[in-house]
Amino acid sequence: MSELLQFNLCLLAFNCFALAKFNHYRDVFKTRPSQKQSQQFIIVAWISILLSLLLCVVERQGYGVLLFCGYMALSVLLLMIFYSFKASWVKYISAVNVTLLLLSGSYIAVI
Amino acid sequence: MYAQSINKAPTRNPLVRLKMACKANVYALCVISRFSAAIVGGYVFTAVFTSLLSLILPLSKSDAVLLSVSLTILIYSCVFIWVFAIKSLKTVWITILLTSSSCFLSIALLKGWL
Amino acid sequence: MKENFFRSMTWMHTWVGLLVCWLVYLVFFAGTVSFFRDEVTLWSKPELHSISKPPAEPIRIAQQREQITNGIAYLANTAPDSSRWRISLPTTREPQLVYAYEKPRAEGSKRFGGWQTYIINPETGEATAQPRDSKGGNFFYRLHFDLHYLDARTARYIVCFASLFMLVALISGVVIHKRIFKDMFSFRKNKGSRSWLDAHNVSSVLALPFHIMITYTGLITLIFMLFPYPALTAYEDGLKGLFNDVTPTNIRTKSSTQSAPLVSTDYILDQVYTNWQSADLTSFSIRDPNKASATVTVRASTADLVKDQTPTMLFNAVSGELMAQSAQELTTSEVIYDSMTALHTGRLANPLLRWLYFLCGVAGCIMIATGCIMWAKRIRERMKKDQTASFGLKLVESLNLATLMGLPLATCAFFIANRLLPVSTVQRADKEILAFFITWLAVALFTLFKRAKMQWYLLAWLNAVACISVPLINALTTKGNLVSYMLNAQWALFSFDLVCLVCALLFILQAKKLRTQLSPPAPNTRSNRVTKPPLMEQKG
Repeated sequence: MSELLQFNLCLLAFNCFALAKFNHYRDVFKTRPSQKQSQQFIIVAWISILLSLLLCVVERQGYGVLLFCGYMALSVLLLMIFYSFKASWVKYISAVNVTLLLLSGSYIAVI
Repeated sequence: MYAQSINKAPTRNPLVRLKMACKANVYALCVISRFSAAIVGGYVFTAVFTSLLSLILPLSKSDAVLLSVSLTILIYSCVFIWVFAIKSLKTVWITILLTSSSCFLSIALLKGWL
Repeated sequence: MKENFFRSMTWMHTWVGLLVCWLVYLVFFAGTVSFFRDEVTLWSKPELHSISKPPAEPIRIAQQREQITNGIAYLANTAPDSSRWRISLPTTREPQLVYAYEKPRAEGSKRFGGWQTYIINPETGEATAQPRDSKGGNFFYRLHFDLHYLDARTARYIVCFASLFMLVALISGVVIHKRIFKDMFSFRKNKGSRSWLDAHNVSSVLALPFHIMITYTGLITLIFMLFPYPALTAYEDGLKGLFNDVTPTNIRTKSSTQSAPLVSTDYILDQVYTNWQSADLTSFSIRDPNKASATVTVRASTADLVKDQTPTMLFNAVSGELMAQSAQELTTSEVIYDSMTALHTGRLANPLLRWLYFLCGVAGCIMIATGCIMWAKRIRERMKKDQTASFGLKLVESLNLATLMGLPLATCAFFIANRLLPVSTVQRADKEILAFFITWLAVALFTLFKRAKMQWYLLAWLNAVACISVPLINALTTKGNLVSYMLNAQWALFSFDLVCLVCALLFILQAKKLRTQLSPPAPNTRSNRVTKPPLMEQKG
């Protein structure tokens, strides 16, 4: 379950990095992002990517770093595919992403 | 960097003819020279430099060797890129030869070969 | 070289990359398959499919003592005079228990005689049918650095230099790709060589840490061949001295002819378990059994530590005393060196990380493939209408088609041969390999006389058919198939078949894409060959 949490954090981070960019934001929401929104996206992205790395390292040290690199590759691949070929799906993907993130997070918190 | 000027008069002197042939292919020769500086020169430099490193690192023998061996590739690739980044071929060759031989000399001194 | 740093790096990236791209593609391809070396080997020996996975840790470890004791008894009965015995214990990736002894060496020869192996089903303790002769995943593993037909040493030098070029190309690639994070997610479709450039960038950026890591550590695994000099200067006896220093369990006692009884295995195992509580043993081997010089080597698994050197203990097999054991605490330099090897081999990886490794490896293949296609496309786009292609361009295009499309086809041929060749064939394993190379050669010859889009299209279909036929033939010739694997939770075999089907799907997509460009006589003369052929045709 912690793997799911780490991966979702990583995916969220890259998603936010992408949305912070003018082109990608416009493709998804059809409006322009304000300066402030972009900044907020970047802040969220950095927090969540560092959190993901932190969780990986705390849990499994060296092995965790390797996993983290793999998560990054997988998230960028997924986002690249969606942003270039199915920009309209990004909204739903993000929703699924956040739901899974919350679910796995709360699962770990409870157990 | 390119070959020096060559006598204009056609001549039978083989040396001059060789030079002329060189001038015609000067670009190709430069490329070959640069690649060999990168591959062979880089290899020689890395070999002597890491050997020196394995002698002077203040660690136990096996640790010094393992550490310097782990660094070889880093050094080699840096030299490789440096060779292509520097404009003058002459500088490249002179630097490689000088540094390699000085490293080699230091090894020879340390090991007492001289 | 050129006017400025940026230009010279671009120049270098292009040429250094082009020079070795096909070889590096082969190395990456074979390496990516080798991440699943044990799984592929298992797939290629259907006789072992009925052995179920060993139980989880505490029970597995509890069984090990009994398995070892039985093994020694079995080997003492079967081959008391052999010079080496080995017992390989079941692991999660290799479920079978193996008893092996060395076949008698040729008269006066010092060369290792090869192993005679007995595969035991750990559940029943009975020997299973001898599995078919096949190299399976080991073929790809050796191909990865030995290139098969070449002399191993030469091949390794070649692979070393190719990887060095690759590393240089990677570093210069980072330098020249200035907007590396800026357009990380963008992929411009249908833009000719622009799209290829984007595909090249995306596939390299998304796994950049992996690419650099795998190339660097790959060179480190062969480093003592490439750069033996530090060891030669520091040690009087060179590499041998270093290895003896680093691996204390390396000591070899002189063989004696005097016979002496073996100490009881329990005595040795007791010592092992007092030293390492709950050690997960992987192998137990005896050199010179029943001789006065007999030694026992016990190896345990490293679990998921980033560490390649297996924990090892060496015992005197007559007196039972501990002679040497691998260092428990490594020094910093040892950790650096050892972890690099571990990172490269990926033996530490659990299924999740293994799949991520695989994904990154596929990204590497795509990076190389798109790189060399892009080179050819750019030259084509720059050519004037009446110009004919130069020899160099033709050569590059031929090599592109032959390697990029030929290698997956050859891989399929290897797996199909594995299922279709009669089990009793003499030198069966070599024939499978022959099938691999003949297919590849056939594709190469095919590309010699034509390599237009039509040939890409044909080969894409051929590849798709081959990929589908692998699981199909598997289902027809063995007892298992995709569905039964799923029902029996044989996930290694299931994913193998699934990966074949996914590859087939990707090849069909590629063929479809190529077809749309083939059919209409494009009104625009501007190049509109745009597909990004999915060159991710690994087998898992």
